[in-house]
Amino acid sequence: MIQEIYTKVLAGESDGVRSAVQKALDEGIKPSKIINDALIKAMDEVGARMKSGEMYVPEVLIAAEAMKAGLGLVKPLLEGEAYAVGKVVIGTVAGDLHDIGKNLVTMLLESSGFEVIDLGVDASAEVFLEAAGKHKPQIVGLSALLTTTMASMEATVKALREKAPGIKTMIGGAPVSQQFADEIGAGGYAPDGASAVDLAKKLIQ
Amino acid sequence: MSKVFQQYQGGSNKVFPGDKVKEIHEASVHLMEKVGVKVHNPRARQIFADHGAQVDHGEAIVKIPRSMLEDAVAAAPSRVLLCGREEKNDLVLEGTNTYLGTGGTVLYTLDLDTGERRPTEVRDVAGYAKMTDALENVAFFVINCYPQDVATEDVDVNRFYHSFANTSKHVMGGIYTMEGLKDVIRLSEEIAGGKANLLARPFVSFITLIMSPLVMEVTYTDFLMEIVRYGLPLTTPAEPLAGATAPVTLAGTVTINNVESLAGLVLAQLIRKGHPTLYGTTSSIMDMVTGTYMAGAIESALINAGCAQMAQYYEIPIYATGGMSDSKIPDCQAGYESAATAMIVALAGANYIHDAFGLLEFCTTLSYEKMVIDNEIVGMALRAVRGIEVNEETIAADIIAEVGPGGNFLAHRHTAGHVRKEFFFPRVADRQMRRDWEASGSADTAARAKVMAEEILREHRPLGFAEDLEALLRKNYAGIK
Repeated sequence: MIQEIYTKVLAGESDGVRSAVQKALDEGIKPSKIINDALIKAMDEVGARMKSGEMYVPEVLIAAEAMKAGLGLVKPLLEGEAYAVGKVVIGTVAGDLHDIGKNLVTMLLESSGFEVIDLGVDASAEVFLEAAGKHKPQIVGLSALLTTTMASMEATVKALREKAPGIKTMIGGAPVSQQFADEIGAGGYAPDGASAVDLAKKLIQ
Repeated sequence: MSKVFQQYQGGSNKVFPGDKVKEIHEASVHLMEKVGVKVHNPRARQIFADHGAQVDHGEAIVKIPRSMLEDAVAAAPSRVLLCGREEKNDLVLEGTNTYLGTGGTVLYTLDLDTGERRPTEVRDVAGYAKMTDALENVAFFVINCYPQDVATEDVDVNRFYHSFANTSKHVMGGIYTMEGLKDVIRLSEEIAGGKANLLARPFVSFITLIMSPLVMEVTYTDFLMEIVRYGLPLTTPAEPLAGATAPVTLAGTVTINNVESLAGLVLAQLIRKGHPTLYGTTSSIMDMVTGTYMAGAIESALINAGCAQMAQYYEIPIYATGGMSDSKIPDCQAGYESAATAMIVALAGANYIHDAFGLLEFCTTLSYEKMVIDNEIVGMALRAVRGIEVNEETIAADIIAEVGPGGNFLAHRHTAGHVRKEFFFPRVADRQMRRDWEASGSADTAARAKVMAEEILREHRPLGFAEDLEALLRKNYAGIK
């Protein structure tokens, strides 16, 4: 059954994943085993296939959706066992309404086992700070698409560094770069969705 | 897995309107009846005479009456099956089904290791056949080089043997001697398991040629007659060069090509009604600066597209030309000349477009790297040929409504469901971020293609021959290298 869940996640079949997970639970397989050996393992494979060019972004996203469908069934049954590999607060910075890149990173992080709190678009430094205080994430991810909003990204990173120094920041989006990340003192930069996941994993080590 | 090779319907590109097709046809009939074709081969001339053509044996002029042309066009099949040694590689030439493949014949190749231009050898016949077998957009192998490391009398058998050994796609080629032609036919029978099998599934076909302007010479016409009598498919292309062996006006070049190719087709149909004969063109222009033949000229593509319209009017499949370049190396010029010409001829719906892979320098030099790059160019051309599929599912009004203003389509199931057939996914083109491109060595197009060519030559395993068959063939033809 573990194999079936794995296969259905790769195929992006949400209904198939749900029924396979249900069967696995009925057979008495432990929820943590379903998560680690089927759901997350499948997404690891999805990540590898994305990198090698065998799977395309939309296929990765429906696989992620299928994985979340399965996770939804299992999560309530976890008794105090932590499943998430880490916690990330993410958002598009103030003045920017673009969210495709940020949503992509959110789904990829979630499907790699991260718990992600999504602040949506046009999030001010205050909104980021408040969420950081409330959710206590290890990482805050900031996205920008417009060159004009790079300044508000810089301001937000600065506020986080001052008021929540234990939290690491990572940035992404078309106009930003590793150089910009270094300039504003961000913890890391990722050029695309798949490397954002790698970066997040590195930052929490 | 579909039973035949991937099919695409071209034909959206028309280089002149339908009534102009008739105008060219009428001019062609007039030329056939009043000017005629010079047929140096007395045996061919006699066949024309026996069937009622007006023949002047002294001047070697054959005037073909309208009725003889019309009978031949009616008798020539509108559907020609060119088989692979495996069914999945069968090509159905009819209507505007469009396939692209290799062509030549060249004497040189850029060496894959050194990049130096060197004479082609048997290993290159084998190498390019193997590349054809591996690259998904190459539909057939027109044997594209002449091996200079075997004796002249062994060239024909080596060209075909090493082609069959390295690709199960359809093999077509020119021949150099009558003895060689007979060897190749016997070799093909042995592979097929007899003449009946070979004719039922012809995995080999031949090219003879007409000399522009308006000449059928002796040797190639003998080949033509021999092949038609045997029954294997054949094309009789003409190669008029606009401004030199044809009028400089492209309409005039299409017209003269039409007369020449149809003259070959008429002879084939007189010998054997219903013989699978392809209309043929390899026409191009003469460069007016250097006075030499050009392969990658945009006008060549237009002439070929025009000939495709003529062939479609006659409902006879066409062997055409596209995708070549006159550059000396696989550089930017090689890319744009090949892309523009391949695209125009493919969109015209020419059925069997040869010369579309690996050719440089006035069709004299091959390049393994360019063949890989051309596989991508042809992939793009075929995507363009497919056009835009419009129906309820692809208009996706319900999906647009569901996602609504401000949403995104990236994560929608509709996107994952259609992306693989809507988008062309290149393999040679670099679409990485600069950082990743630099990290992977900042390789340019030719360097990336070189790596892919090396991998194919090293790792691809073609169908080949069973051990006992290979032993038999090598025993029967001692000249096989």
